[in-house]
Amino acid sequence: MLQFFNDNFGRYLVEQLGDPADDARRALSSSHRMKKAGGLQRIASGWAIVRPDRSTMQFELAATGIEYSKLTRYEAFLAELERWDGSPRMFIEFAKRPVPVANLFRTFDVRQVRVCSPVGVETFDFTKPPEKDGCKTHKVLWKLKTGGK
Amino acid sequence: MDKIKLTATMLSPIVTGGGYMTLDGLLAALLFDELQDVEAAHAAIPIQCKDGLFSASAAIMEPIKERVTFIAALRPGHSIDPDLILKNKQGQLHRKFDTSLTNVLNTYAMLTAQTVTWYTEGDAAQIERLVSPVQFIGKRRASGFGRVSGWQIEADELDGIEGPFGEPLRPVPIDMFTGDKSQPIVDAAWRPAYWDPLHRTACFAPT
Repeated sequence: MLQFFNDNFGRYLVEQLGDPADDARRALSSSHRMKKAGGLQRIASGWAIVRPDRSTMQFELAATGIEYSKLTRYEAFLAELERWDGSPRMFIEFAKRPVPVANLFRTFDVRQVRVCSPVGVETFDFTKPPEKDGCKTHKVLWKLKTGGK
Repeated sequence: MDKIKLTATMLSPIVTGGGYMTLDGLLAALLFDELQDVEAAHAAIPIQCKDGLFSASAAIMEPIKERVTFIAALRPGHSIDPDLILKNKQGQLHRKFDTSLTNVLNTYAMLTAQTVTWYTEGDAAQIERLVSPVQFIGKRRASGFGRVSGWQIEADELDGIEGPFGEPLRPVPIDMFTGDKSQPIVDAAWRPAYWDPLHRTACFAPT
């Protein structure tokens, strides 16, 4: 699982030292060179979608090997789920606090989508409408999917 | 080895941080308290284990699900990573910190159920010896959550891995699962220590 994260995302951000958990932790919590101005900054906002071939993120770093997108997290997650090809994904939301390695999970099936963030992991079935006490991401994505109904 | 059904009768709701609460994980924690050695504790789990996979189900219950929040008053530590601290315009660290206690809210899932059941194939006498003194399970035990009033062991036919309809009773790596493969695949830890992300792989698991 951490190999997936490091191979397809983390290795573009930090040197791989052979300890998958520590490599992933450094990618998520250390500062990286920004695209604009070239200063160092930790990934403190935005989102990432880690894919087996090419990953995408919103926060514009100088790192090459990653695609950058200006979509909002919900627009990006919705587009990804609607054109699902069956291969694993990792959906990550960034915030001021780093995402703990323990919160990283891959998604293999739209019936068990997992969104990883600093505060935890949201799990939901994207083929069904959200329940009243369902998670926020599911509710927003469902609203976007059904045109606000 | 005996195929058994283990039931805990609950007196208070269980607080959990997520996960499947498999019986081998529960017994490993009890054995760690006795042995103080992670590897020795895992080796001593009295449950059938094949290629690293224990014949022990996840906790099975029909709970009312709620959220519960606890407040922890924390004092900032001095071992914080300097990368995480805001820098001033000159690029220097702000070195003056407020060291008073800060309240942090932690939210957990709270599950209210009359009973919690596990299916397993193992040494019934050893399992009974380990669980019978246990009065609390789950998180926030010191706050009174997860109180058990009694344990019951009875013979059963399930092996703790597959249910009667081929459904997974615990996280099982996809190449080791022989049951109903129409279930969604999830990333899950499939062997102890279950908290270790390195033990996660693509699994069929209870929904």
